[in-house]
Amino acid sequence: MLELRGITKTFRIGPTERTVLHDLDLDIASGELCSLMGGSGSGKTTFMNIVGLLDKPTQGSYRINGEDVLGAKADALSRLRGRLIGFVFQQFFLMPRLNAWRNVALPLMYRGVAEAEAKRKACAMLERVGLGAHTEHKPSMLSGGQKQRVAIARALVGDPAILLADEPTGALDPTVSREIMDLFIEMNRDLNVLVLIITHDPGVAARCRRRLELVKGRLATQEKLAA
Amino acid sequence: MIRQTLMEAAGNLLAAWQRSLLALLGIVVGAGAVISMLHAGAMARNETIRQFRQMGTDTLILRADSTQGMGNFRLGDIESVPGNVPLVREIAPFMIGGGPIQHEGQVRNAGYLGVTGNFSDVARIPVAQGRFLNAFDRFELFAVLGSDLAEQLSTPFEPIRPGSRIRVGRYVFEVVGVLAPVLQNPMMPVDINGTLFLSIPNARRVMAVAALSMAVARMVPEGDPNLATQQLQQHLGPGMRDSTLNVMSARQLIEGMNQQVRLVAMLLGAVGSIALVLGGVGVMNIMLMSVAERKREIGIRLAIGARRADVRRLFLLEALILSGLGAVLGVLLGFLGAFGFAWMSGWQVSFSPIAGPLGAGVSLAVGVFFGFYPAVMAARLDPIEALRSE
Ligand SMILES: Nc1ncnc2c1ncn2[C@@H]1O[C@H](COP(=O)(O)OP(=O)(O)OP(=O)(O)O)[C@@H](O)[C@H]1O
Ligand SMILES: [Mg+2]
Repeated sequence: MLELRGITKTFRIGPTERTVLHDLDLDIASGELCSLMGGSGSGKTTFMNIVGLLDKPTQGSYRINGEDVLGAKADALSRLRGRLIGFVFQQFFLMPRLNAWRNVALPLMYRGVAEAEAKRKACAMLERVGLGAHTEHKPSMLSGGQKQRVAIARALVGDPAILLADEPTGALDPTVSREIMDLFIEMNRDLNVLVLIITHDPGVAARCRRRLELVKGRLATQEKLAA
Repeated sequence: MIRQTLMEAAGNLLAAWQRSLLALLGIVVGAGAVISMLHAGAMARNETIRQFRQMGTDTLILRADSTQGMGNFRLGDIESVPGNVPLVREIAPFMIGGGPIQHEGQVRNAGYLGVTGNFSDVARIPVAQGRFLNAFDRFELFAVLGSDLAEQLSTPFEPIRPGSRIRVGRYVFEVVGVLAPVLQNPMMPVDINGTLFLSIPNARRVMAVAALSMAVARMVPEGDPNLATQQLQQHLGPGMRDSTLNVMSARQLIEGMNQQVRLVAMLLGAVGSIALVLGGVGVMNIMLMSVAERKREIGIRLAIGARRADVRRLFLLEALILSGLGAVLGVLLGFLGAFGFAWMSGWQVSFSPIAGPLGAGVSLAVGVFFGFYPAVMAARLDPIEALRSE
């Protein structure tokens, strides 16, 4: 489903150039559950931004379902992002003034879904992630684990094919972290969504069927475990 | 979608309400100034119209000036005007003086006007009680009083009315009439309501300086005041010896007053516009700050599928709500200002119909104009940059 070839990313900082990703080749099939590990500064977030269509590589080609996505304009990218990709961040990144269901419904609103319909879907998704009783709560009234559940619900409400998570358990304690990981695995299984999780936690990575590792901008490991 | 965006925009403004209030202030003051200026202009126009309605805009005031001060008309010359000056229909000469008047122990200082019998007709002053002076009682000791003067000289037991006797200088006059109250007319050299009217021969007896130096005239309908002035100069000029004739027309006066009003209105308008622009800059400043502070929020929105237009709309809507609220409060302030202005000037309250819509429209336009740049800046943000920022 994802087809990345020769992905190279170079940042210019004043006169110096810095290549963060070197000539990456990677295929990920739909419905896969992958972890991406690597030391700090190894280029994980940069890579995810490219996969998530937030950034473009300096060189290389990127196809989703055989369609070249690097030629698209900003607004077309927004639309592709909205339709195909859900994001989960380490810091949750919820809108503090919107309650849980409005946060979850936001991607739908941007797609032009009517409010009643959006609310129905958002509440159903919150129910799925175990927050059926908290739909009206503001983020400030939720625990870290609950916030991350809201963020996951927001990422999944639009029925994306790809779920990208940048250190989703980085701000959570081990128990909650395990619960969130359970949720990712469950969602991957039930919704057949491709999940790519960036993590520093080997325990989290161990639960993914496929494990990727970046070392200084190069893919070092691509091991696949038997199911 | 619009409703949700509206809700979010309002929520964002409320969350930073102190800042929003500050931005609002500029718009409110600007809109208020522009609107009250328009109202004041309308009131000034109404006021001039009202002042001249009673006396009419076809009035001319003639004054004889000499190097020593007041000049002199010859009564005969003045009386021959209606037949010889085509544009002037009626004319009434008068002399001005003043001094004490006594009635039943009451003493008042007042202006005297020595007039001919047609004065009340030419100057359009209605009589409330009795009658005005006429040509037949020129040498009788008869007097007519303005309404305020009559009231001031009245005692509870002896009100001034036709038949009352008043003392002026060494003479006792019989009151034959009391005038109805009239509006102050800017053309008249005296306050009609506070004046004592005598015949010209009687006025000569009680005035220290008795000069027939003024006249009020009425033109034929739609007469041109400049042409009438020319004709009057031709007719009266040769007989005036060392005096010069000065003619003032109601229309010239109105024109002059209107020009003054326009000038003041323009000045106020300029102040209001500057305040509005400053208000707009305030809105822009606040919006730019808000964009800088909410970079990450913008990044999140872009990441979860908002298009640039969605982000632009959110920020534009915030600016619009600010300026809309500012416009509403500004209209209120403008009306308050108009009331204050009317109260201070003593003018009748009246409103300009265009002031509200115009002021509100302009402040909305200012809000959109100055809100546009920050909104575009927000929409142009790079999502990754925006997400990375703290
Ligand atoms: N916009 C940018 N401009 C310049 N350099 C950048 C930019 N973004 C990332 N970098 C650099 O690229 C390198 C990789 O950054 P990246 O955020 O991808 O690392 P990471 O693997 O996600 O690290 P961490 O585990 O700490 O999140 C870093 O050295 C960073 O300084
Ligand atoms: Mg990172």
